[in-house]
Amino acid sequence: MKRVIVLVALLVVATAASLLIGDVNLGLGALWQGVWGGDGPAALTIRVIRAPRVAVALGAGAALGLSGATLQTLLRNPLAAPDIMGFTSGAGLAILVAITVGLTLPLPLVSAAGGLVAAILVVALAHRPGRATPAATVVLVGLGIGFTTTAIGTFLMTRLPSAGATEAQRWLTGSLAARDWGHACQIWGIGAVLALLLALQVRGLGLLELGNDLAAGLGLRVERTRWMLAATAVALSAAGVAVAGPVPFVALMAGPLGTRMTGAQRPGTRLTSAAAAGAGVMLLADLVARAGIPGLQLPIGVMTGALGAPYLLWRLSREIERGEL
Amino acid sequence: MTEMTLRAEALTLGYGERRVIDDLSLALPAARMTTILGPNGCGKSTLLRAFARLIRPQAGVVTLCGEDIHGQDTRALARRIAILPQAPLAPEGISVGDLVKRGRAPWRGLLSPWSRADAEACAGALQAVGMTEHQERRLDELSGGQRQRAWLALVLAQGTPLLLLDEPTTWLDLTHQLEVLSLLRQRNRDAGTTVVSVLHDINLAARFSDHLILLGPGGLVAEGTPEVVVTTENLQRAFRLAARIQPDPVTDRPMVIPL
Repeated sequence: MKRVIVLVALLVVATAASLLIGDVNLGLGALWQGVWGGDGPAALTIRVIRAPRVAVALGAGAALGLSGATLQTLLRNPLAAPDIMGFTSGAGLAILVAITVGLTLPLPLVSAAGGLVAAILVVALAHRPGRATPAATVVLVGLGIGFTTTAIGTFLMTRLPSAGATEAQRWLTGSLAARDWGHACQIWGIGAVLALLLALQVRGLGLLELGNDLAAGLGLRVERTRWMLAATAVALSAAGVAVAGPVPFVALMAGPLGTRMTGAQRPGTRLTSAAAAGAGVMLLADLVARAGIPGLQLPIGVMTGALGAPYLLWRLSREIERGEL
Repeated sequence: MTEMTLRAEALTLGYGERRVIDDLSLALPAARMTTILGPNGCGKSTLLRAFARLIRPQAGVVTLCGEDIHGQDTRALARRIAILPQAPLAPEGISVGDLVKRGRAPWRGLLSPWSRADAEACAGALQAVGMTEHQERRLDELSGGQRQRAWLALVLAQGTPLLLLDEPTTWLDLTHQLEVLSLLRQRNRDAGTTVVSVLHDINLAARFSDHLILLGPGGLVAEGTPEVVVTTENLQRAFRLAARIQPDPVTDRPMVIPL
């Protein structure tokens, strides 16, 4: 319980810091005015520029965290996150394609379609009929799909006019620049629906953890539950990508980080801590990215990349030690 | 006692091209302890998995109370048949109490809260395996024997009239093997639970079972009471094992002495 309070307090402090720190540093008074509808420049900075950005970061981070923790539990592999397996880059590529050809579909739909196509490709390539697919195979095939989508993305950018290419580059790195309340409502609305859907499946996830045979013996429709959970997780990551771009490593890190911080064991509480940890990582990474180096605003993806790459290497070395890879 | 009899009718089981069980018909007597015996690779576990509906027969049916189990609702079936697989997976850091609670899944609706019946079933199961005082402990810090008792508590909490176990004593030393089998017999005698297990040790099986099913490379070799099944000819046919059979000085059941 104490550790849960620490995590929540951390989120609150990070939120306040993100609202106050930036090109112009504001005081707590401005925060008060901003929240309660004051109309000075400081209050407007908070309400119009920083608050929606913070809301998007929290929402997208939570969605990515939920997605990562779900897939990691489902595939019983700490590497099985949507960003490692190419789902988020698939979602990102779909959006880039839509922007390039001027498609006017809603971005969350495009992104979900891209994520699903990537996921289906991974499963189709990793699957051998009549044999169980090792999770490590899924992860490695996913890495391959991720590289491929990145390559296609890079190719597409060379075909764009230079202004568009810069924008696309920023987008593909993962960025929270210039997010408005529309984006915030989008991720929180879609995220809430998907999180509810996930909550209804948490018990099933708890049974799947015991192995497919025991889960089936306990009355679970194993295949159906697995597909439903995977689809929900892909949709959650796609919802995050639709507002923040394919920010790397947040989904990978959120689950283990959240569990480490709260000591949660049941699937429900583990997913909740993953959501909180994802939101926290996203928010802090964005804060450091835009205010860490004075006068230089980096996209958030650069920051999570710098954080996540060493984590991934560490994780890989542990898996190799345990003989899982 | 209602007749909750699991029955195999002209059952053929296999994986793809490979046939493991061919045209087998037999019944698992209700409210008895039955053990499936046989050499490695003869299809013991496959048969047990078919009884638990974990695999679909290539031909024939498995029936419970005369109805094909593949036609029944998954959750309704899970309230009648529980299965403990050979190697269930332990979620990292799970406590014994939490593990046992998951055994109540077939009795809980999507949104139904934890009920008194659920709590009582879990408490009863923990009591039965003597793990009540360990329920707060983490599964991964228990000894092998305690861990197996925790898994048993999970399937006992499921509260089914039929209990299927795939090699429940593998990895355990002799003391703990006896302990697990005594627990199962206790359950069988107290609650009238039909217990069906796959075991490797013929002597232990003969000692604890009312009914034996002996499979060999060519299918069913014999079934019936230990006295009927454990004979030199049957062991020769099933295991290609030359052995002498003598009455166990403690239980009077047949005992195998390999030559």
